[in-house]
Amino acid sequence: MILLGLLIVFLALLDIRLGSARITFSDMMHHLRGIESLTEQQWLILTKFRLPRLATALLAGAALPLCGLQMQTLFRNPLAGPYVLGISSGASFGAALVVLGAGATGLVATWSLAAAAWVGAGMVMLLLLFVSFRIKDVMTILILGIMFSSGLAAIISIMQYFSQASALKSFIIWSMGSLGNVTGVQLQIMAWTIIPLLAISLAFSKVLNGLMLGEEYAVTMGIRVKRSRIIILATTSILAGTITAFCGPIGFIGIAVPHVARYLFAQSDHKLLLPATMLVGMTVMVLSDIASQLPGTERVLPINAVTSLIGIPVVIWLVIVNRKAQSM
Amino acid sequence: MGTSTTDHIVILDQLGIGYAKGRELLNKIDLRVGRGEMVALIGRNGTGKSTLLKSMIGLIPLLKGNCYLDGVSLNHYTIQQRAKVISYVSSQVSQLPSLSVRELVSLGRMPHTGWMGRFSGEDNKLVKKALTEVNMQHLIDRRLDQLSDGERQRALIARAFVQDTPLMVLDEPTAFLDIPNKYELIRLLSQFRNQGKSIVYSTHDLETALMCADKLWVIHQEVVREGAPEDLGVSGLFDALFDAAGIAFDREARKFKYKSDPKGTVRLRGGPEIALIWTRNAIERVGFEVNGDGNMDVEVAPSETGFRWILTRNGLKEEFHTLYSLARFLNRDE
Repeated sequence: MILLGLLIVFLALLDIRLGSARITFSDMMHHLRGIESLTEQQWLILTKFRLPRLATALLAGAALPLCGLQMQTLFRNPLAGPYVLGISSGASFGAALVVLGAGATGLVATWSLAAAAWVGAGMVMLLLLFVSFRIKDVMTILILGIMFSSGLAAIISIMQYFSQASALKSFIIWSMGSLGNVTGVQLQIMAWTIIPLLAISLAFSKVLNGLMLGEEYAVTMGIRVKRSRIIILATTSILAGTITAFCGPIGFIGIAVPHVARYLFAQSDHKLLLPATMLVGMTVMVLSDIASQLPGTERVLPINAVTSLIGIPVVIWLVIVNRKAQSM
Repeated sequence: MGTSTTDHIVILDQLGIGYAKGRELLNKIDLRVGRGEMVALIGRNGTGKSTLLKSMIGLIPLLKGNCYLDGVSLNHYTIQQRAKVISYVSSQVSQLPSLSVRELVSLGRMPHTGWMGRFSGEDNKLVKKALTEVNMQHLIDRRLDQLSDGERQRALIARAFVQDTPLMVLDEPTAFLDIPNKYELIRLLSQFRNQGKSIVYSTHDLETALMCADKLWVIHQEVVREGAPEDLGVSGLFDALFDAAGIAFDREARKFKYKSDPKGTVRLRGGPEIALIWTRNAIERVGFEVNGDGNMDVEVAPSETGFRWILTRNGLKEEFHTLYSLARFLNRDE
């Protein structure tokens, strides 16, 4: 766990260092000591782009896998992830309404896009919570989540079909995910939403342990299952919804990272598994960000593709080589 | 309710159970579990055994009547308080997560640990004790998917034991188990009973229930009756219970037999005792009756390899070296 922490610090430094503009560590250190070794432009790049980008990667890397783990335990399904409830489809629907419906593009759209995606995710969440207050069986919620998702995806594809080429392109770019668009106030909103919710989730480790044997056993072991289920669904929805709103959907690490953490730590106690998942997630996310910047070039790959390309081989390896990863 | 409530850990008072009001599976259930008693719930598939157990411990809302735990109505318990009175082992054994035995059993301490679930030395000691009780100390680090059915069931029972409740409720704990495991498991439950726990378990296995349970609850024709196994036997309930299925209860052997008119009668002689018992089983299995003045005669005698059986009928002798060949001969030759 400590090793993982050190790895994250190392990768984070590397992440700030990399980029098309050359900024060396010694220059940064000098600057912090008050020596004017960075140009104004370099300082701007560092504080307005690279650091926020790193912060976004760390937040998303901690939150998405945590949501995935919660969903895997709650639904007792190793394939569940943060988006299984239809949250990302809700966000996409909101974004699609703004970009494809209203035709907003360019920088003006960044704010309205995030807001609309947030509202979209929030609507799905409210619908889901409303349902979960009434429905007893947790599997029904899972199925409804998947149905919401598919339904919204269908509507989005109709909207795409009828939209202009330029609008379509900005929507598709949004849907590929990006860590680089979150700056200033947006980053603050994101951080203040995510950090407290991460803390709440950590406090639910005992409940998640109880839920591993299923809801019936959990009740007989003194867990208020219905209340816990609603809180877990709500935290997952808000976390995944917020990240999707600001960064676009970021695939795969939500499902894959909890399995990697289970394998690395050989643990099923959520007291350890939750923080472990967050740390592994942050590592993977920063690593993906480094990879997406194609060191040595000026191009930046969509983060969604990179996380998948990194995550898929890992999961395949785990499933084939290691039996622990198959079972939850 | 005349008697003192403290004598009974569970009192079911005019209970109506099921999944929808107006469509109760069972009605007017009046049953009791005495402190330190082992109760076996018997009934055919679909008669509502699981529903009764789940209703009794609050997993399914009661439709009518009331259930008193330790003298207090079930509705007055919070979920946390309930978890300190009842532990439960479900009939569902599939879909268990891949935990180690230690992790599974430790979960049982949940109602007693703080909000973060931190373990004290006392908790660890109890987990060890439970694993010793179920004779699984050596498997503590084994994963659940690497256990046999019997071991897995014992691990699940250890989890319930660790919960340290006066009442344990188990839904078909002996399903899927072979005969030695079945007996071992019931012996384990009797052991818990002897330590002062009250136990309610459902089963299809009347034989072990008759041997060990202090009381039976029998669901038959939408009525639940309770009593000592012998009381229910005297009342003829067991004969009625399986009447429709073409089997009859052998009151002497305390087990069931297929009902049919005997194909003939056989006189059995020779020895020793063990050979006579199994010969009798074989003869009865193929539909003959064993009695003193049979029209056939089977004599059991020792041979170099074990035993031989000499069948005499109408003055003709036939010799067999296995009970299989004797049974086959009788079966074919009616």
